[in-house]
Amino acid sequence: MTLRSDHIAGAVFVVFAVAVFALSGDLPFGSLSSPGAGMMPKLLLVLMIVFGIVLILSAQASAPLAEIDWSDRNHALLVVLIAGVATTLYQWLGFILTMSLLVFTLLMVVERKNVVRAAAYSVGLTMIAWWVFGTALKSPLETGILGF
Amino acid sequence: MDAIQSLGLGFSVALQPAVLWYAFLGCLVGTLVGVLPGIGPLAGISILLPITFGLNATNAIVMLAGIYYGSQYGGSTTSILLRIPGEASSVMTCIDGNAMARKGRAGAALCIAAVGSWIAGTFGVIVLTFIAPPLATIALKFGPPEYTALLVLGLIFLAYMSTTSLTRTLIMAAFGLMLGCIGIDPLSGHFRYSFDIAELGDGIGIVPVAVGLFGLGEILATPSHQVTGEVIRPKLRELWPNAQEWRDSGWPITRGTVMGFLIGIIPGSAHIISSFLSYAVEKKISKHPEEFGKGAVAGVAGPESANNAASTGAFVPMLALGIPTGPVTAVLMAALMVHGVPPGPSLVNDHPDVFWGFVASMYVGNVMLLALNLPLVGIFVHLLRIPYAYLYPLIIMFCIIGVYEVSHSIVDVWIMLIMGVVGYLLKKFSFDPAPLVLGLVIAPIFEMSLRQSLIMSNGDWLIFVSRPIAGTLMVAAAIMLAMSALSMASKRRDWRAQMAEEVKE
Repeated sequence: MTLRSDHIAGAVFVVFAVAVFALSGDLPFGSLSSPGAGMMPKLLLVLMIVFGIVLILSAQASAPLAEIDWSDRNHALLVVLIAGVATTLYQWLGFILTMSLLVFTLLMVVERKNVVRAAAYSVGLTMIAWWVFGTALKSPLETGILGF
Repeated sequence: MDAIQSLGLGFSVALQPAVLWYAFLGCLVGTLVGVLPGIGPLAGISILLPITFGLNATNAIVMLAGIYYGSQYGGSTTSILLRIPGEASSVMTCIDGNAMARKGRAGAALCIAAVGSWIAGTFGVIVLTFIAPPLATIALKFGPPEYTALLVLGLIFLAYMSTTSLTRTLIMAAFGLMLGCIGIDPLSGHFRYSFDIAELGDGIGIVPVAVGLFGLGEILATPSHQVTGEVIRPKLRELWPNAQEWRDSGWPITRGTVMGFLIGIIPGSAHIISSFLSYAVEKKISKHPEEFGKGAVAGVAGPESANNAASTGAFVPMLALGIPTGPVTAVLMAALMVHGVPPGPSLVNDHPDVFWGFVASMYVGNVMLLALNLPLVGIFVHLLRIPYAYLYPLIIMFCIIGVYEVSHSIVDVWIMLIMGVVGYLLKKFSFDPAPLVLGLVIAPIFEMSLRQSLIMSNGDWLIFVSRPIAGTLMVAAAIMLAMSALSMASKRRDWRAQMAEEVKE
């Protein structure tokens, strides 16, 4: 049997729904005349399990798993990693430093651009964004430990 | 007060210099947001949302709505000149718009898109002017069962219209509704799935989820070496379409406008669905269907009119019923509530200056957009020439600012990143994220009205079919569900399957 994308997708939804159902033990279902906090989530989880099984059973119509193109995975991983680091640093370093570093790192690490161009673009862009949002539009941007 | 008198009051508000300025600002930002691929109207609105906290309710809603309908105009520019949809609803315009541009008719395609958008937008506002107030009066008779039935109809309609399968759409909607259950239960005060994270007590925000799925998810799946589109620069003197092109665009604009507005009223990703449906209809009824994909004028005029009419139509349930039809209208509703103006049936009576000022500002905004989009197309072409490798770091920066600034919560930015990864995976497995976002948007109203209905009926599910309005809506939903299930069971390739293939191409 060829493993198809909907086999995996359906299985992921079923496992997810079962796992969340297991976490929902303390949520009261209540009764139909007095529904509790757990009624809606539990009904939805049952629906997700049913739809997940239907997806697995009708997977023949979906593409074989091997045909999914993952050639962009390195790009995706790097972007998520760099954005994650920027998120961790954002409240500590503030808008100007974090965003300059975010753009610079994306240009250097992911796009392999010239260092001077990357530095000039990232600093220039961040300063423009700072002026537009922080000064012209008076949006309260994060300042960080250095005070800017 | 009748509608014309009320509209007079609206224009007296909308023509004040401050309101005009914010309408212009919204239209300009909306056009830019639409032109730049990767930033949707939601990210644009989110970034500017905190700025509106210092404005009055009218200025705030006028500016934010301007971004929404402005982005529908701007999206066509990128689609036609670069063959990349600047906005999700412009996907269909890419096909024939860019083909026209390659034949040297870029200016004509842009002009038809802009004029079609203007006609559709203005028609939408005229209908909104006359149907929203009476609908609000009828909506006062809506109880929890009617709201539940309307939302069920919206979800089933989205599933029926989806270019993916019924099961995929419903599983996405269930996932979205499930995400909407996170946080404190409004009826009992129970914490649900918040894992002792204080920020999750308020639930998962629409903005981080939608920006992650649609903005970041798209960037993750698009490495810069794959974006090699060549920008076609139209000449200003070529902007005017010839007589044949005008004739070919007349009926598609009319059909797209009416169809788009009707679809816009029903909860769902109306502006996206409407452009897909309009394209399918135009191709189906055309005497020369073989021209579609090779630069058919109707393939630009219909979808562009439809998505603009739908974005205006989406304001009807928002203003008259207080129901968000998608993430954008949900954020607009939140913006109104920040100012103590709850959207819904009482809005037109309690805050006529806001309601009618907003409606009148859309007449003005549509004229502004027509004036902005055609003469300034040269400037937008320059924007599109920025290499994608330099553009997407800027978009990621905007996504982070937009999400963080809404409630100054770093947890929201993490949610956006997680949703970006989820969006990337959904794309790989051919799932449409729109039903997920709709599920999240309607989850609080849906759960509340469902539970209230059951309490009212002492646990009797028949309450959803025994009341006339709720029953009619439920029957409509059941018919649509049966049609979808039949089509799935018979494995028949209907117009939706054909449309999915064309989008993939």
